Amino acid sequence: MLDTLLPILIFSALALAVIGAVRRIRLWRQGRPARVDLLRGLAAMPRRYLVDLHHVVARDKVMSNTHVATAGGFVAAAVLMILVHGLGLGSSESMGPILGGLLLLASAAMFVGSLFVAKRRRNPPARLSKGPWMRLPKSLMAFSASVFLLTLPTLGILPAGTGSVILALALAAVLVWGLGEMFFGMTWGGPMKHAFAGALHLAFHRRPERFGEGNRSTGLKALNLDDPKAPLGVETPSDFTWNQLLGFDACVQCGRCEAMCPAFAAGQPLNPKKLIQDMVVGMAGGSDAHYAGSPYPDKPIGEHRGHPHGPIVAREGTALVDAETLWSCTTCRACVEECPMMIEHVDAIVDMRRFLTLEHGNTPGKGAEVLDNLIATDNPGGFDPGSRMHWAADLNLPLIRDMGQVDVLLWLGDGVFDMRNQRTLRALVKVLRAAGVDFAVLGNEERDSGDVARRLGDEATFQSLAKRNIATLSQYRFQCIVTCDPHSFHVLKNEYRELGGPDFNANWVVRHHSTYIAELFEAGRLHFTPWKGGRVTYHDPCYLGRYNGEYEAPRNVLKALGIEVAEMQRSGFRSRCCGGGGGAPITDIPGKQRIPDMRMNDVKETGAELVAVGCPQCTAMLEGVVDATAEVRDIAELVADALVERPAGSGGGSDSARTPQSASTRPLMKEVTP
Amino acid sequence: MAFDAIFEPIQIGKLTIRNRVVSTAHAEVHATDGGMTTERYVKYYEEKAKGGCGLCICGGSSVVSIDSPQGWWSSVNLSTDRIIPYFQNLADAVHKHGGKIMIQITHMGRRSRWDGFDWPTLVSPSGIREPVHRSTCKTIEEEEIWRIIGDYAQAARRAKEGGLDGVELSAVHQHLIDQFWSPRVNKRTDQWGGSFENRMRFGMEVLKAVRAEVGEDFVVGMRICGDEFHPDGLTHEDMKQIAAYYDATGQVDFFGVIGSGCDTHNTLANVIPNMSFPPEPFLHLAAGIKEVVKVPVIHAQNIKDPNQAQRILEGGYVDLVGMTRAHIADPHLIAKIKMGQIDQIKQCVGANYCIDRQYQGLDVLCIQNAATSREYMGLPHIIEKSEGPKRKVVVVGGGPGGMEAARVAAERGHDVTLFEAADQLGGQITIAAQAPQRDQIAGITRWYQLELARLKVDLRLGTRADEATLEDLRPDVVILATGGQPFLSQYPEWGYSENPEESLVVSTWDVLSGKVAPGKNVLIYDSICEFSGVSAADYLADKGAKVEIVTDDIKPGAAVGGTTFPTYYRSLYEKEVIMTSDLMLHKVYREGDALVAVLENEYTGAMEERVVDQVVVENGVRPDEALYYALKERSRNRGQVDLEALYAAKAQPCLAEEGDGYLLFRLGDCTAPRNTHAAIYDALRLCKDL
Repeated sequence: MLDTLLPILIFSALALAVIGAVRRIRLWRQGRPARVDLLRGLAAMPRRYLVDLHHVVARDKVMSNTHVATAGGFVAAAVLMILVHGLGLGSSESMGPILGGLLLLASAAMFVGSLFVAKRRRNPPARLSKGPWMRLPKSLMAFSASVFLLTLPTLGILPAGTGSVILALALAAVLVWGLGEMFFGMTWGGPMKHAFAGALHLAFHRRPERFGEGNRSTGLKALNLDDPKAPLGVETPSDFTWNQLLGFDACVQCGRCEAMCPAFAAGQPLNPKKLIQDMVVGMAGGSDAHYAGSPYPDKPIGEHRGHPHGPIVAREGTALVDAETLWSCTTCRACVEECPMMIEHVDAIVDMRRFLTLEHGNTPGKGAEVLDNLIATDNPGGFDPGSRMHWAADLNLPLIRDMGQVDVLLWLGDGVFDMRNQRTLRALVKVLRAAGVDFAVLGNEERDSGDVARRLGDEATFQSLAKRNIATLSQYRFQCIVTCDPHSFHVLKNEYRELGGPDFNANWVVRHHSTYIAELFEAGRLHFTPWKGGRVTYHDPCYLGRYNGEYEAPRNVLKALGIEVAEMQRSGFRSRCCGGGGGAPITDIPGKQRIPDMRMNDVKETGAELVAVGCPQCTAMLEGVVDATAEVRDIAELVADALVERPAGSGGGSDSARTPQSASTRPLMKEVTP
Repeated sequence: MAFDAIFEPIQIGKLTIRNRVVSTAHAEVHATDGGMTTERYVKYYEEKAKGGCGLCICGGSSVVSIDSPQGWWSSVNLSTDRIIPYFQNLADAVHKHGGKIMIQITHMGRRSRWDGFDWPTLVSPSGIREPVHRSTCKTIEEEEIWRIIGDYAQAARRAKEGGLDGVELSAVHQHLIDQFWSPRVNKRTDQWGGSFENRMRFGMEVLKAVRAEVGEDFVVGMRICGDEFHPDGLTHEDMKQIAAYYDATGQVDFFGVIGSGCDTHNTLANVIPNMSFPPEPFLHLAAGIKEVVKVPVIHAQNIKDPNQAQRILEGGYVDLVGMTRAHIADPHLIAKIKMGQIDQIKQCVGANYCIDRQYQGLDVLCIQNAATSREYMGLPHIIEKSEGPKRKVVVVGGGPGGMEAARVAAERGHDVTLFEAADQLGGQITIAAQAPQRDQIAGITRWYQLELARLKVDLRLGTRADEATLEDLRPDVVILATGGQPFLSQYPEWGYSENPEESLVVSTWDVLSGKVAPGKNVLIYDSICEFSGVSAADYLADKGAKVEIVTDDIKPGAAVGGTTFPTYYRSLYEKEVIMTSDLMLHKVYREGDALVAVLENEYTGAMEERVVDQVVVENGVRPDEALYYALKERSRNRGQVDLEALYAAKAQPCLAEEGDGYLLFRLGDCTAPRNTHAAIYDALRLCKDL
């Protein structure tokens, strides 16, 4: 009886799955076209899954092994089950025992994995979604156990006909449950959807260049402003590209993003997991009432609904998502870094912001003012662009316009207008001079890099600034751009090329100052007095670390200074954002606490008296914390303070009292050191 | 950006100044080596450059000729090539911190003294005596005029060869150039006097000669006054005409403008406005000059605060602000603005201790910052944390000495507790600030309050410390700065009693602090002649009392400095306070409801009486020594301060010695009554190596 029943059940489930898949694919295809190499993607998919994705999952060893057993067991069991029970190969004399044996092994492995899944679901952490996900371990066990048991008679381990018909039917019923979850559910929106959508998402990922050892792809992609038909950002779910929608569907609701999101922790109305789920709701149409995870702080579930062609953010009232949710993001990429499904949350958020800024003209807080300033003055503060070099009036910085060609172009960034950052810049100039670096600055030719404009969604202003900076840079010859601003660093390194053409930075590299200082030290061009201060910790700037993978150079510099870094629990790729990225301080969405306060608490936990940073934005945010226990200093300042000046002839100064007689024979010092 | 106007660089001639803040020319009285710039001089300016000051114009009244004596105020002597290498030291020290430095050069004409050094014959256009210095002079001859013009050119050359960035020709404060300008002093009828062009001729010839000598690339500016404030002197309109006239030559790179002439005591007090003046009282005069000239205008007078400076610059009244006393109080003013430490700026309170010392030919010092102009001795503006053991330091007394001791000890990283019997910090400063026009002196306390809070000093206000409370804290160091009490018991005939019901006299402290209600008809007897007596007189008169202030000295307020006694006099005369000198208080007795004060003429012995309802006596301070003697025997060092170490600003040797118990030091008025600066200086040099 089962020999007849099982193929029917299996192929019915598969047929339903195929129908579901077609429907699901049609949902994704509501999105805009995207240029994807389908075949190459499919070919690359296994490696992306087994290497890249596994690399992220493996950060949690138990979960990783659980998933290997469960998913591996399932994939193998599903294929073998079709062969053994669906196509009846189990009764083949030659193949049957082998396939059946393998099926037993696979289903057993899956069952063991399911036990661990079940264990985790007993006291699930807050970040995990509940709802249908709570039944998943049972479904997994139902599937694996029923397949296992149903295979025993096939192999003859138990004689056919063991037990009663009732028992067999009961077992079949359990199998139906399992099949329903695993096949039908996979394409009809059950928890197993992640496997189907996830596999295709990996194959057709919008950033194929991020896969592979050491590769990363973090620059935002440009809007085509020349095409009058192209939408300015994303208004409705269907304005996303089809593979973005596919990516949203891959979410397993594990909540690793939620656990890392600084805005969520601060009680701002953002939860990256919920945002992705809202996009899923939007693409299918409906309300978020069935969402079973943590809501956006202070935003009850069930009040928002969307439609594939309806606005995501309402001009008035509510739609799918509130604007303040989108504006809470600091673009710190902690969610992207943590996501085992390689979903690109930040891209989606900026896409939606673009529409709000470019079409609604609705950038909250000081956003509109900052953008107006950028348009009028090329800097976010609205300062006289002619005052860009005021801070350095006494430093006699060489202008690249006068030099034509230098080794290093020092990119100053908009920190030139900020007295705090001016100290960092002066320190950096002192360091470069101490090392005898041949450098120059753009002076008033430099403009804001466009980072803030872009992240506030004003792609037009970003591109305007970028194109003018690109044109300026192309006039001069240098080998390296050095900057103390990771945001400028990121934009120059990763985001200008798309606008500047492939040859744009063919002849030069961009270095964060910590990287460059580390190189100078390695080359023996800097000498330091040993550190005498207290305990020091280091805060990784998002745009240096997660965006650009530079975790080591700043630590190497600190080590060279004789500092042993007392690491924060959240450091390196898990560093907690200072709250200063993505225009978040400008849009200033209220929460229950401030992100920099939380970060300074992290610092406090290390017992550090000083937190070393490498970003003007981080410095500003962390220094703004009231009653902080640690001093905030840029790495350049620490280096400048520790410099042992080169011996005579370097223009070091005349601290020791000289007799007037000796002074009269000495050439006058014209060069001013900072 | 906050303070963007301050931090906008400016071009003066071909020179770029990094910000808009200038330390303007003032006599430092530091060129004590025959007019050569000493190490002290160099370090004093280096500190300002290090602290971020844009431009220093050093050497107020630095002389170009040998008949303009430099010795009285130890100004810089540019009449000899010997100065050139000294300038190179000075220029290097400022340039290496990104600052620029110029020097004021001048011939002071009649505005000097002749009774010393080379016993010169002073010169002036018409030989009219100068009242402030009581100096007579000769009428200058044509040959001398041309010699001095040449001296100016040579002096400018020396400044240039020494690597300075420019010179400022002083045509202010009634020096020789403006002696020629002013019809009040210039009565000549030859080509050097009379018509506008003739009166301008000397200055013009000086400018031409200097410019010819130094060329176009070296900065040459002029400091002028905005209005002499004399009916027969130069008015604001005259000064606009003069400025425009010189500006039209295109040879002047900047003008510095000062409100008020200064050849009388009263006008002189305007030049360096003390705390009785409003902020920037003469800005309008500088702004008037700016209207008629094309080059940058600098103005200094009572500009003390970064917000004030920003407001003035933002308003476009002038191009650069002089913050000279502000820099004497805190040479790191600019750096603190940039560090976002505005609250840590030690702001000038306008006590004019600096300038009032200078008028006596004494070195310029700051009433509240003992490190200023002592940089060469190693007295620090920024106190480094100690690398030695952390000590428990207990300071008793929250007056200036105690506050400074607590601040410095806390900056050194020690655990500091400060006891003050009163409910607030300040000591005698609190009392002094009660007088009309003297409230700003409390700025000294305000700064310490902020600093002690920042440094987390344990303040025990309203708590009188005794031996037991002190020893309970198990201190390593005890510093007593308990001050003293008014010394009214010196002569029993005055009828002072500790019982206020019985006492026939009260102190100025009683009056100013409000402890005793003002009388209606008051005699103040002031044997000290510093601020307290005249302050009490001003206070009582302000409250409606009829006041006579009597002293046995040469005049009431005789020991108040030259820029401050005039503002007291303005106020006292205005309120019809009677000022009487040469009488001693012989006796006070009660007669019915009234008090009778018997006064004895110092020179004749004749007695006279005043019938009043209140007798206020200012007879200085008697040290409060009780706690000191209670602790002395038990302290490790028996309370002794090693004077050689103290005077050399070195660590007290006993700090390095091991031992049980505590070290005991005392400073300020509880040792012997001196002044605010003395107390702060002792505290700094005693505690900086703690």
